[in-house]
Amino acid sequence: MIRATQSREIILDILLEVLERGAQSHRVLRQALDKYQYLEKQDRALITRVAEGTIEYRLTIDAVLKQCSSVPVKKMKPVIRTILRMSVYQLLWMDRIPDSAVCNEAVKLAASRRFQNLKGYVNGVLRSIARQKEQFVFADWERRYSMPQWLIDRWRDSYDDATVEAMLEAFLRPVPTTVRCNRTLAEEETIIESLCAQGVRVEKSCFGGGLLTLEHYDYLESLEAFANGWIQVQDAGGALVALAAAPQPGERVLDVCGAPGGKSLQIADLLDGRGEVTVRDLTEEKLALVEDNLARTGFTNVHTQVWDARIFDESWQEGADLVIADLPCSGLGVIGRKPEIKYQASPERIKELAALQREILTVAARYVRPGGRLVYSTCTISTEENEEQRAWFLKTQPFRSVDIRGRLGEMIREDSLKDGYVQLFPGRYPCDGFFISVFERDK
Amino acid sequence: MAIRQIRTIGDEILTKECKPVREMTSRIRELIDDMFDTMYEANGVGLAGPQVGVLRQIVTIDIDDGNQYVLINPEIIEESGSQTALEGCLSVPGKNGMVTRPNHVIVRAYDENMEQFELEGEELLARAICHECAHLHGHLYVELVEGELRDVNAEATEEAEE
Repeated sequence: MIRATQSREIILDILLEVLERGAQSHRVLRQALDKYQYLEKQDRALITRVAEGTIEYRLTIDAVLKQCSSVPVKKMKPVIRTILRMSVYQLLWMDRIPDSAVCNEAVKLAASRRFQNLKGYVNGVLRSIARQKEQFVFADWERRYSMPQWLIDRWRDSYDDATVEAMLEAFLRPVPTTVRCNRTLAEEETIIESLCAQGVRVEKSCFGGGLLTLEHYDYLESLEAFANGWIQVQDAGGALVALAAAPQPGERVLDVCGAPGGKSLQIADLLDGRGEVTVRDLTEEKLALVEDNLARTGFTNVHTQVWDARIFDESWQEGADLVIADLPCSGLGVIGRKPEIKYQASPERIKELAALQREILTVAARYVRPGGRLVYSTCTISTEENEEQRAWFLKTQPFRSVDIRGRLGEMIREDSLKDGYVQLFPGRYPCDGFFISVFERDK
Repeated sequence: MAIRQIRTIGDEILTKECKPVREMTSRIRELIDDMFDTMYEANGVGLAGPQVGVLRQIVTIDIDDGNQYVLINPEIIEESGSQTALEGCLSVPGKNGMVTRPNHVIVRAYDENMEQFELEGEELLARAICHECAHLHGHLYVELVEGELRDVNAEATEEAEE
């Protein structure tokens, strides 16, 4: 027996999971690529590209389908809807695949999923789109950037149009993998050499701080630098959180919602072996990710503990020099990596999350010793979860803001740094959208 | 150790019933080694005796799960569930087709030392076991294909990186 190339079958299944059943794209994609490890590198690249692209451009694609199908997109059978969406993506964004091949594959796919009776319909819709593809240019942001209107409206209410549009554009650009060097384990130059020797294209990030961007690698696990624990996958935005916290050797640090542990490991690296970090999260399962990273990197001054951050733990009362509160959020800052977030978010969900954040912050504040620091961060872009939370925290808790100018490197120059916070926008900076705020407890 | 010639569809030998192996001989050991070599050379995940022109009930399988399975005189004793996916065969070059198979099987067979064992397989392993055991009884997957037998689409892999 020989394995058949079945890239399009795999893409269809991934998209059904994400777009019809609300699963997370990076997980489903990861599972699929793990399951079909035997696929050629090109097959995996095709699967990743079409799956991610179809999710990213879903709203634009649906607008195109609306013009060319007699059946409204919402009324289509999920399998047919998904076959059409992934095919439209290939027709409009992947010039090198001949239109006829896209149409033929779509028809075969429909037949193999027992929709023989709809072969003609699928073929008709796609050929009509292929014939007139030059005219699908949309001026409005919702369809041009495939972003739900309510999110665009919200952002335009809070930020200037240029910032919002640059961000919408940035979300659609490919995001390279960023890793951080564990500098207590190896010199940055040694790490770069090791990566280059394995054929990876490495660049130092413009943020500095031992961050590297990687391209042209197949599996992270196959890289020696990864196996040795020298590098840790972490977006620049996340890495800046630890830099803003400025941990000092010897400090006692508590990370209240820390899985998978990127920030805690970075802090352990910055502590230089002195002091200790306790990472908490809700479940063993989440903390297992931290344990994996610890086993790989060999840091011994990081401990994990299952604990619900909403519940006050007396044993830590005023016991921490530094508390990291990187809390659950709507994740709008990482839409570039996890595009389905934009369809799954809702104003109600943001409200719930903001309430949860306040609940956790109220508890976390009590762990900070007088004169100690608390860092509140999210990977979202929503004033309700960010700027408003900061203002509320300063008003209700015995904390003041900390001037963090000079902590985040040369690259970031925002006036708000002197007031102890920053909202990072993709498009303005080459990183995910992060919010970082630093507070010091009154003495 | 040698690469043997793979027989392709149309060759009578692929339609015949295979004879069981009665005892392990050096010739059969050599055949098994050659079958692995031939299978790896052709990027296959499974190979059966008749595919290299030997009407013996011998199957080799390697689906990259860290094992090299040798099934001598195999007999599928349990099947359950179902999976539908594209399947191809070294004896039907350049083609593939959708085939529904059990998702889980248990096969009883003898190993290279002629000791009986049972192997349980799911998904790809179950598919490979069914596909290869069918060869031993003169059957090819093309008899089971749903819809058309398709040409392997080389173009699909080429545009991946633009």
